[in-house]
Amino acid sequence: MRKDIVLMKERIRNIFSYSDMIGSLVKKELRGKYKGSVLGFLWTFINPLCQIIVYTIVFSVIVRNNLDKFYVYMIVGMIPWLFFDMSLRQGAGCIRYQGDMIKKIYFPREVLPIACVTSNFVNMLFCFVIVFAVLFISGIGVRIEALLFLPLVMAIEYFLSLGFALIVSAGTVYFKELEHIITVILMAWIYGTPIMYSMEFIPANIKWLFKANPMTSVIESYHKILYWKALPSGKELLYSAAFALVMMVIGGLIFARLDDNFAEEL
Amino acid sequence: MSGIDMQYSVQVTDVEKHFKVYMDKGSTLKERVIFLQRNRYENRQILNGISFKIPKGQAVGLIGRNGCGKSTTLKLLTRILKPNSGTVDVEGRVSSLIELGAGFHPDMSGRENIYINATIFGLKKEEIDERLDEIIAFSELEEFIDNPVRTYSSGMYMRLAFAVAINVNADVLLIDEILAVGDVSFQKKCFQRLKEIKEQGTTIVIVSHSMEQLYSICDRLIWLEEGRIKEDGEPKLIAMHYLDSMEDERIAKLAEVSREKLADERGRSILELTQNVHPEARREGTHEVRFTKVDLYDGEGNPCQTFGTGDKVVLKFSYATDTEGIKVNFNMDFVKDNWQYCYGSCFAKPGDELPVLKKSGEVTFEIEKLMLLPGKYYLDIGINGEHGELYDNVRNIMQITVRDYVHNEFGPCTFEHDWKLV
Repeated sequence: MRKDIVLMKERIRNIFSYSDMIGSLVKKELRGKYKGSVLGFLWTFINPLCQIIVYTIVFSVIVRNNLDKFYVYMIVGMIPWLFFDMSLRQGAGCIRYQGDMIKKIYFPREVLPIACVTSNFVNMLFCFVIVFAVLFISGIGVRIEALLFLPLVMAIEYFLSLGFALIVSAGTVYFKELEHIITVILMAWIYGTPIMYSMEFIPANIKWLFKANPMTSVIESYHKILYWKALPSGKELLYSAAFALVMMVIGGLIFARLDDNFAEEL
Repeated sequence: MSGIDMQYSVQVTDVEKHFKVYMDKGSTLKERVIFLQRNRYENRQILNGISFKIPKGQAVGLIGRNGCGKSTTLKLLTRILKPNSGTVDVEGRVSSLIELGAGFHPDMSGRENIYINATIFGLKKEEIDERLDEIIAFSELEEFIDNPVRTYSSGMYMRLAFAVAINVNADVLLIDEILAVGDVSFQKKCFQRLKEIKEQGTTIVIVSHSMEQLYSICDRLIWLEEGRIKEDGEPKLIAMHYLDSMEDERIAKLAEVSREKLADERGRSILELTQNVHPEARREGTHEVRFTKVDLYDGEGNPCQTFGTGDKVVLKFSYATDTEGIKVNFNMDFVKDNWQYCYGSCFAKPGDELPVLKKSGEVTFEIEKLMLLPGKYYLDIGINGEHGELYDNVRNIMQITVRDYVHNEFGPCTFEHDWKLV
């Protein structure tokens, strides 16, 4: 056990020594993604914006609900969700599709999922420009005391995503199907998270199920801070933080267990 | 960390490595469930317990035929692969010239790609800043460095990639068969740089099939065969043994061809004579006196077909005849593989008494110093009668190889010589 902790420490130190590699991969991902397309970096915004417009039309015009300025509620939840969603989707393939590099160069393999999640995280930060623009245009505005909690919630979501990404990125190497399974799970998962509806609509007898979902507490915290302009609930913060921590530990251990054979499996 | 001896930068101890080779691997759920029996695999043993130590600053070449475990050994040193048993200890920063241009993004400029590529090699941003000018100068791409990499020719691309890789200041540098980059002048430059790196005290492990490259860089060669270290030592000596064994194998393969090609009766009579018959062998004559066995030996009496210029060569053959007391003359020739006649000799010169034969016997022809220059030569042997009758004659019975070395002579043979400025 003690030896494991020493080894884990060694691994983490090693990952930190490659922090510049993570930085340059994130930069490459963000800058390289839309190079060569006419609208370029603008696609970072256009993509989620279009998605939100579609959902907004469907859920505020066709499906009725009683929330005031529902589109704001949706945007506030959707952009963090998209970060989580993309982290897992891309995370699943981030090692498998870098087979050549894995087979020929040594670097701590964790760098790839970390870079993947981080670039999606930075993408989300850019997209928060939309969130704040919508908040001001709609007249809801912001409350500074509440906003102070925003970085904390973001950090919790980051580590939660990373924990999941570590597991699926390593798992996909051994089991290709995982990539498709993840897509299906994510499609269902978004409906199990209060993004396009509010928690009040959930029947009391199955509410526990929705509350067990770690993304519920994360998205609800975003809602509290930005839509309701209130302080996030301590219980929810604690639950999601604890969940994120557990996922990071499990993810880290699984990854460390599996990464020895990456080069052979690919 | 562990008790690694400071004077060694690489220590490999009893390393064993095998790969699972799947017959037909199902990697999706459906395939795994439906074709359970397809998940069978066999273990392919790649390394069979190898151990070596490399002192700091030594340059070591790994040689061996394809699939002998050279590249696997290199990958174990980079930590890409883990040994199944045994330990690999490498001291200091390792850089590997195994994959060039890792992580290059075609739409980004050469300069940006230098940063991406170099950080993958584990460099810090500040270290790259320091070396940027050197890298650009080395790549000779000053004018193009801010253009996107996709506009580069493949040669330019490789030059940039190589410039980054070779300017990563490592304690241990691992190189796999990649010095064939760019044009001849760039290759020379790379090699020059490699020598500089070596002089700075970097430990180098290099896999190459070019003996010339290995001679000029390496202090030591390790010859791997079937996952074991066959020989380990001074480059010239190991390379000679290695090339000889490759040559022996080639000759044995030719003999295999011969066995098929010379399946008729006349052919079989040649195959009986010796182990490694050349497929081009031809036999004729009345066989009143005939060869029964022909072999070549080196100075120590071992059967041998690969020699160096100046080596002792012994030709030994047996004959048989029904006519006891018959007088014959024996002869042998060497013919180069371009059919140039090089040398011939017969037992008795004109005017001398011919040897009188018993029913059977043995004859040897000893060459004290083989004066043929490097190349491949055919051996012909013959038995003639008193009045020139052709009793037995085998042309191209076997091939001998005179091994290559650095020399200043050309043509079929060597002279003892001395150039002087007077």
